[in-house]
Amino acid sequence: MVKDVTSGSTSLVSRPMVVEGEISGDESLHVDGRVKGIIRLKGDLFVGVSGIVEAEIDARNVVIQGTITGKVLARRQLEVQPSGRFNGECTAASYEIREGAVFEGISRMLDRMQPAERAMVSTGQSNQKQP
Amino acid sequence: MGLFVKDKPSAASGAGQHGDNETSFFGAKLTVKGKVSGGGNLIVMGTLEGEFDLNGELVVAPSALVNGEVKAVNVTVSGGFSGSLTAKQKIHLEKSSVVSGRLIAPKLSVADGAVLNGEIEMKKSSESKPAANDPTQKEKK
Repeated sequence: MVKDVTSGSTSLVSRPMVVEGEISGDESLHVDGRVKGIIRLKGDLFVGVSGIVEAEIDARNVVIQGTITGKVLARRQLEVQPSGRFNGECTAASYEIREGAVFEGISRMLDRMQPAERAMVSTGQSNQKQP
Repeated sequence: MGLFVKDKPSAASGAGQHGDNETSFFGAKLTVKGKVSGGGNLIVMGTLEGEFDLNGELVVAPSALVNGEVKAVNVTVSGGFSGSLTAKQKIHLEKSSVVSGRLIAPKLSVADGAVLNGEIEMKKSSESKPAANDPTQKEKK
């Protein structure tokens, strides 16, 4: 399901590599190493078995075989495979959590949200609250 | 038993097209800002900004734009670079490269056509070796 890449190439953070900061772009990303920070993709995020991601994530599909900690917006689907671990808060249009996977935290469905709220999630800003 | 243990998730994974996975790859439409460190090689085709400390080879492709402080073992630049570039072994600037800033390496090669503005420092990698016989062909531009 992750293969329907419409936006071309897939970038790779290999196992020995550590990225701290922001990764953004129009393509898909495969993480076998470590990423800390922010990930914003038009394509999919795939976290391999050895991948460890601590980030605020906005992607189309998110597939976890490794570990993700943080806040995730999966515009299409979040998939946690048997070896995968997820800790945090996730908003997705659909979920697939396989037996053996770990999911700790909050899940929300994307299509039940108000458009305004959705916009808020996608920009990662929640500073609109009235005092 | 241990045939397919540690390596790639084999099958099921869907995106298992990266066979040899010690080389990282940042595509043309990807922007990375921040700090990148670790082993393995890195091929950059997109935009990179920040601090890079790699225990491998860095390749800056023609479409790429790298801005910041880079340390690596070997560096090949075909795209744009600005900032400080330190290589433990050598730096090669291809003819399509546009480089400004500070380059530090024991060996430097510059192809005809490369644009190079900046400061170059050549340190000998090891004292024991009598370096190259007179580095007279280091930069002809």
